[in-house]
Amino acid sequence: MGVVRGLLVPFGLWNDWALAAARVIALAALGAMVVVILTQVFFRYVLNDALPWPDEAARFLMLWMTGLAAPTAFRHGGFVAIDMVRTLLPATVAGVLNLILLAMSLTVLLVGAQLGWTHVNSGWLFNSSSLRLPLDLVGGEPVRIKLAWMYLSLFTEMVLLTVVNIELILREVLCLAGEAARLPSYARSDVPEAE
Amino acid sequence: MLLWFLPVFLSLLLIGLPVFFALLFAPGALLWLNGQERDLALIYRNLYNGMDSFPLMALPFFLLAGEIMNRGGITERLVAFAQAFMGHLRGGLAHVNILSSILFAGLSGSAVADTSALGSTLIPAMERQGYARRFAAAITAASSVIGPIIPPSGIMIIYAYVMGQSVAALFLAGIVPGLLVGLGLMVTVRLLADRYDLPRAERIVERNAAIAPLEYWVSFVLLRLNLAGLLYMLTWALPGGWAVGGWAVYLALLVPAHFALVWYRGRCTPDFRTVCKKAVAPMQTPIIILGGILIGVFTPTEAAAIAVAYALIVSFGVLRVMTVADLGDVLRRSAIASATVLLLVGAAVAFKTMVSLSHAPEILAEFILGLSENPLTLLFLINVLLFVVGMFLDAGPAIIILGPILGPVFTGLGVDPVHFAIIMSVNLTVGLATPPMGLVLFVASSVSGERVETISKAILPFLAVEIAVIFLITYVPAISMTIPRLAGFAN
Amino acid sequence: QDYTLRATANSNENDEDYDGLVVFKNYVEQASNGAIEVELFIGTQLCSNGTECLQGVADGSIDIFVTTSGGAAGIFPYVQVFDLPYLMRSDRVAEAVLTDTDFTRTLRDLALRDSGNAIRIMTIGNTGGWRNFANTQRPVQTPGDLDGLKIRTVVADLPQELVSTLGASPTPIPWPELFTSLQTGVVEGSKNGITDIMNMKFPDAGLKYLTLDGHAYMAAIWVMNNDTFLSMPEEMRRVVVNGFKELQQATFASPKRKSISAYEEFAAAGGEVYVPSPDEKQAFQDAVQPVYDWFGSNVDEGEQVLQSLRDAVAQVEEDIDADIAADIQ
Ligand code: NA
Ligand code: NA
Repeated sequence: MGVVRGLLVPFGLWNDWALAAARVIALAALGAMVVVILTQVFFRYVLNDALPWPDEAARFLMLWMTGLAAPTAFRHGGFVAIDMVRTLLPATVAGVLNLILLAMSLTVLLVGAQLGWTHVNSGWLFNSSSLRLPLDLVGGEPVRIKLAWMYLSLFTEMVLLTVVNIELILREVLCLAGEAARLPSYARSDVPEAE
Repeated sequence: MLLWFLPVFLSLLLIGLPVFFALLFAPGALLWLNGQERDLALIYRNLYNGMDSFPLMALPFFLLAGEIMNRGGITERLVAFAQAFMGHLRGGLAHVNILSSILFAGLSGSAVADTSALGSTLIPAMERQGYARRFAAAITAASSVIGPIIPPSGIMIIYAYVMGQSVAALFLAGIVPGLLVGLGLMVTVRLLADRYDLPRAERIVERNAAIAPLEYWVSFVLLRLNLAGLLYMLTWALPGGWAVGGWAVYLALLVPAHFALVWYRGRCTPDFRTVCKKAVAPMQTPIIILGGILIGVFTPTEAAAIAVAYALIVSFGVLRVMTVADLGDVLRRSAIASATVLLLVGAAVAFKTMVSLSHAPEILAEFILGLSENPLTLLFLINVLLFVVGMFLDAGPAIIILGPILGPVFTGLGVDPVHFAIIMSVNLTVGLATPPMGLVLFVASSVSGERVETISKAILPFLAVEIAVIFLITYVPAISMTIPRLAGFAN
Repeated sequence: QDYTLRATANSNENDEDYDGLVVFKNYVEQASNGAIEVELFIGTQLCSNGTECLQGVADGSIDIFVTTSGGAAGIFPYVQVFDLPYLMRSDRVAEAVLTDTDFTRTLRDLALRDSGNAIRIMTIGNTGGWRNFANTQRPVQTPGDLDGLKIRTVVADLPQELVSTLGASPTPIPWPELFTSLQTGVVEGSKNGITDIMNMKFPDAGLKYLTLDGHAYMAAIWVMNNDTFLSMPEEMRRVVVNGFKELQQATFASPKRKSISAYEEFAAAGGEVYVPSPDEKQAFQDAVQPVYDWFGSNVDEGEQVLQSLRDAVAQVEEDIDADIAADIQ
């Protein structure tokens, strides 16, 4: 178990720091989404001159918000699941079941990351229809943004979720070995529910 | 062969695989076993595409607006307002609990937010007045399902997106059913009040409360603007219609609005006036959202962003109860909550692709139509199915899994898509408060400290009423369809 | 069967695209003697817009897809040449350009190059006739009448540029929200074909004034995964190519038939159709000159593609005029 405990340290540290940084970007993205849409409302209704880019820019931000905030929810048990069976089983059996379930989610994430990388690469072919880097403001040519930059959000998410998943597996193994009390607790944080 | 993804999916769900992973694992495994590796890319792309949507953006925005409102001391104002109107009835605080939920529903699209916000204020207050804690927790949970039925509504945004319906139409269709649930609960409280001799409450909790000058003048102006708006809308109903007038007529109507309010003011106590004035700014939110969508100033996504801006202005500028640090926290919580839901919507769209590839809807439609061809019978069966599903699954995931499978069958039988959306939404929302797996029950339990099992028993009479309302809504389409039809948002 | 072709169109079974696919499926399955099976996915079951579906074609999870010029603009910006106003004067000219000249092949070569040899343009047909300006406010007879109207466009440069060049205000609105947006005044007009207008019941939302300016040919660009196509033996490829020819003819014919009843329904719903005089049409043409320059300088390959379309048009107009001259004697 010493090996598992040793392995858990870097994964735990990474998830502490990387997810904290990701959360900050995600909350900034959410704030920026509101600003972008309000800008659009202002231009459309007050100046009667709709801008071409806010629609896509806001979606860009929303995708990144999702990609960067969801791993935190996963780590803290915020992914909706039916726990009934697990609560009815004896602790050891429930632990083994949980390991199997985590192996399944890891499979999904690994395949997802692989497909995600292909998806990102295909995105270099496609230009965004309305987003461009306004280099003309500094005397250059405006550069169209490739859709790959949007696709990267889901790939990043897959990678972050994979690391969280590995940490959860290591924790479950330690729990099965009777070391649950020594693990830091990731109690369900006070995250609001959408329904 | 491919069709096996459905039983596989259900089994994985039952043994506790998170819905997000189950939605992807089952189709992926079957495609892989069937040698269709190229379609895995299709599943992945639809996961991405499912999240990449402008209409869906209303979801994080309404969530954020609700969170800001909640933080901004708006809950207490709404409860005080509800109490001023219904506190003196038998079972006063129970009525107040229901009315607060109805008012809160106009600001928030979430039943859980309703339970935690109102529960933490009202459950202790009810206990102090001698209500059993389990009763207080049960009425809180039962009434909070009104939150996602009356607009704005998170699950209706999801349903509209996944099923290609108009968000505005669903929002409008939910108003009357939401009020009906509230009314049904109030009638039940009234009956129980006679039986258990439930106490009345004071209409005014805080005597001689002060109101800040800014808040006073904001509500002064808003009240007059709204009343004039209401009068202006009434002129449309006059023979010949006054629509010619435009702004001039509206401005002129401010005068009678002012004098009407002055007249009414003279008839209320100062405390009652203060309570009402303090509720004006928060209760403007639903008017902005619905009015904006109805008059056609905004799309629902824009209305949601405006709601966020308005919530910020009220919380920071008028009520002055929020700090910048609070804002960061609110944004963080909303981002995480939205992310989990959006991810789920994406996975549902990916799952829907598999549903198409396997031709499941055709097969299922054949099966369902084999049971009966009578829409009324089928609607009954579907309500039973939805209710059972709702017992185990949250409304959002249930709606995105079942909508694409069931929707086409019933619209094919001539059920209006908007009406069917409301049947599904209301039924699954009630499922949030239904044992054994109701999300709202768990929240009510953690807010009140009462055990889930105990609340589950106490909530049964209220659930019975809500089931009755579900069937009323199912068999009387006019309840849902009248407002969207009058507004021209449905046929 | 030896080959299964998965074809998808983001429309519904009332659409010209579906008519074309049915003809294609029927022809290919018969002519290949059952060696090729065509599986149809109509609607957004597999992918819900041009970019998504073209990606599916590029990675091989979708074999055949039909896109509008706007839908393909993200990867093949030059196909927006079909959105340039008033380049082709009639259906006869447009159909001759798409069948008798090398213009489609020019586009195919560019598309293969830009998609890394993944996406092959098979044929170009029609989906819904021609685009016209329609609005809820007033009859539009001259370009000046469009001034200040909020016109819905897709999220793409060229349609937005066209609308603002004509003095109106381009407003991007998602297609499913367009009905309510027209009804509530978020936008005051659109640029669509008549069949789309009637399928979406826009007159019920107040869309009343239609001006038959025919400012853009509603090209339907049919693409296929290049590897799937080349992996077939030549006789099968011949069947597929002929199948697309049949499909193209079907999509040319279908909108003409459908638009007759659509115009009748439009009038019955209180719509007013205005046919601009030759002088007024000329005024529209003069007003949009800046758009051609914009296309040449802002769109990759724009100048080259515009020139080859103009050459093709000149060639077929000459042939058609000669034919007509011979036929009326
Ligand atoms: Na609500
Ligand atoms: Na309540």
